[in-house]
Amino acid sequence: MMAAMSTGGGEPGSQAESRTSRSPQAMLERRYARLGLLLIAPSIVVFSAVIIYPLLAAIYLSLFELYTPTLEGGFVGLSNYRELLARGEFWVSLRNTLVWTAGTLSLQIVFGIGMALMLHQNVWFRSLARSLILFPYFVSTVVAVLVWRWLFNDLYGILNHLLVEARLIDMPIDYLGAMPNAMISIILVGAWKYFPFVVIAVLARLQTIPDVLYEAARIDGAGPIARFFDVTLPQLREVLLVIVLLRAIWDFKEFDLIFLLTGGGPVISTQTLSLLVYKEAFALNQMGMGAAYGVVMMAIMLVFMIFYIRQARKGDSS
Amino acid sequence: MMRRILFNLSVWSAVLIVAFPLFWMVVTSLKPQVELWARPPALLPLEPTLEHYLTLLRDTSFLVYFRNSVLLSTATTLLVIGVAALGAYSLVRFRYRGRESLAMLVLFTYLLPSVILILPLYLMMVKLGLANTLVSLVLAYTTFALPYALWLLRSFMAGIPEDLESAALVDGATRLGAFRDVILPQLLPGIISTALFTFILSWNEYLFALVLVNSDATRPLTTGVMNMLISSFNIEWSMLMAASVMMSLPLIIAFSLLQKYLTRGFGAGAVKG
Repeated sequence: MMAAMSTGGGEPGSQAESRTSRSPQAMLERRYARLGLLLIAPSIVVFSAVIIYPLLAAIYLSLFELYTPTLEGGFVGLSNYRELLARGEFWVSLRNTLVWTAGTLSLQIVFGIGMALMLHQNVWFRSLARSLILFPYFVSTVVAVLVWRWLFNDLYGILNHLLVEARLIDMPIDYLGAMPNAMISIILVGAWKYFPFVVIAVLARLQTIPDVLYEAARIDGAGPIARFFDVTLPQLREVLLVIVLLRAIWDFKEFDLIFLLTGGGPVISTQTLSLLVYKEAFALNQMGMGAAYGVVMMAIMLVFMIFYIRQARKGDSS
Repeated sequence: MMRRILFNLSVWSAVLIVAFPLFWMVVTSLKPQVELWARPPALLPLEPTLEHYLTLLRDTSFLVYFRNSVLLSTATTLLVIGVAALGAYSLVRFRYRGRESLAMLVLFTYLLPSVILILPLYLMMVKLGLANTLVSLVLAYTTFALPYALWLLRSFMAGIPEDLESAALVDGATRLGAFRDVILPQLLPGIISTALFTFILSWNEYLFALVLVNSDATRPLTTGVMNMLISSFNIEWSMLMAASVMMSLPLIIAFSLLQKYLTRGFGAGAVKG
């Protein structure tokens, strides 16, 4: 009876047991397994219809030359891939994607850890401060972009006004229409929008570091900086790895923020792979070529994804 | 003491710099048009006005977009939570072959780029005759909402002590009976916060709405408001800021409800993996 009840539990032996015996417990186990499958069935159906099928269809589409509005065209095999690797635009977009990801991710991590360390201390109105910090993360990208485009406005934007007042610049800056400003601007706005995620995750981990460790370090004569490097950072190592992987994946595939801030411009200077897929499929109406870009993009992401999933699996089993 | 004050001041200036764009959004939305062009710009509106909000509600399709967003996000949330609650129960409390792989598949799909899924989904919706409907968006939104909710609920479910369920089973309850009477009440906080997060995700979605829907009658807020920026001859920033504020209101409400679940939801869903 006990074995049957721990079906959902963690008894490693219970499964093997059920296969060999024909006892009532074993039958109950089999019934439960069937019920379990029945309960997950709706999820599997939805997954297959809206994720697995489209994923496979995207790979299939990448072998065709298709005109999006009419869906006319034919099978071309791997020629889309040959063409895209030969195109300069693909390599430019890949480089942009890497610059954007590396830039915004490192800022997110640095600001995120810094802010988490500050908010971990006893600050006046701490919960209000935390809520204010979190807000950029929850607000819609559309709202974030509208606000920043207003701040960046060349004639009436407050940013240019303040910088001119402070005599840091003579002429208003064109934040989004010139390079390298446009890339720097999207990296900064991306950091502003997504660093709260790092804050939350690090803050949650900081709260579980035992005080004894700090006391021991203090007795050993370690100052605040030494304590950070000897106690805090090693304790954060694991969570930071997960954060970096997750954010790298999300930043790599970011579409909304860049599309709405610069649209990939000037020309294609801030065009990332996500934007390239969209442009090819829906602006240039080359559905097959767009799919091919998408597949290549996913192949690159797969490296991070597999790494992350392995990491998550480790955390899951412990 | 001096050091404490300095520390607090520096923390709060950092916080205020981060929050400034949102403060500026509210201030701009309340300024009359003339003050917008004033040099130097006033930090607070001299004569605060609600005229931009009124124009927004009266002269634009904002309310239609708003209704669409509410319908869309509510439908997505209900659908996803229903499916995911059962799925999470199955993934945590039942044993069958492929269970672990399924859990990892959920995580994998959670990381997939929407920009790839949208191409076949677009073709699918056209073929099904669903293009330009809210239904097509609800279906498309499940691509990110379902993996998210499943993963989050799975970790909430794992936190419920197993003894409770076992006790109910000893007392003669069926598995589904135990799910209804024992698990669901325990899972309720998890369900509420997952629902709120799912709602926020759907509320903020842009790409699917951009591709799948292109008439004013079916546009949600994200593409609708963005369209006001693109299609207007001279950009009315105060009205756009008013739209941004209105668009963020439901988030602020959800946010204050979420406060106590926030860290937990984050930790469970995204960070612990």
